[in-house]
Amino acid sequence: MKNESNSANLIRWFDPRHRQLGTWAFILNRITALGLTLYLILHLFALGNLARGPEAYDGFIKLAKTPVILIGELLVIAAGLIHGLNGIRIALNSFGIGTRYQKQIFIGLMIVVAACLIIFAKSMLFGH
Amino acid sequence: MYDTNPKPQEGAWLWLIKIVAGLLIVVIMGIHFWVNHLVAPGGLLSYADVLAYYQNPAIIVMEILFLIFVVSHAFLGVRSIILDVNPTKVVLRWVNRGLLFLGTAAILYGIWLALFISAKGAGA
Repeated sequence: MKNESNSANLIRWFDPRHRQLGTWAFILNRITALGLTLYLILHLFALGNLARGPEAYDGFIKLAKTPVILIGELLVIAAGLIHGLNGIRIALNSFGIGTRYQKQIFIGLMIVVAACLIIFAKSMLFGH
Repeated sequence: MYDTNPKPQEGAWLWLIKIVAGLLIVVIMGIHFWVNHLVAPGGLLSYADVLAYYQNPAIIVMEILFLIFVVSHAFLGVRSIILDVNPTKVVLRWVNRGLLFLGTAAILYGIWLALFISAKGAGA
């Protein structure tokens, strides 16, 4: 993959054929990374409302509690959990820890993500 | 599973910073998330709550460190993703400059905002 042209590498990212679990873990890690980076930038801009005073910030918080934004937040939480937990596995693997069982660990962590998301969704969408 | 080692153009130090920052984010994000989204009634802090929250110097230090770790990890991660598409040296040089500029700007803006909120709360 390294010696191919840039466009060929990029197109390959979006080709779902012949993928193994490791590749899906890789793709998930990349997609969540890009999503979270975009969220980080938006989050910093949104927090700029704090400098504009209580009306601006509390108005923004009111907007943040609408269902559409809450679903968006749930996606951010999902991305954070997937990226964070998968990232811990990658970090451990990088130091030679758990490499033999990394597929099982990945599946286990994704089950944890799913369980956490159910709890968060219940609390955020139906809790208040 | 895929290769988790640093890429040739990433360098061992940048890779290590990305990994260590990532692990530190997981710890601090737990605290940040708990305070900002779970402790507050209704899920999010109001303006007055944020001002009060930022009166504790330890909180300011924690939030600024969190910002530095997150921005460093995010922008090193974006660079790592760009390396996946095998950019030319010229493109990579501009990517490095752009990410360094944006990352520094984001950190400085975040630090200014944290100190501004803290000062605003102290004067309230």
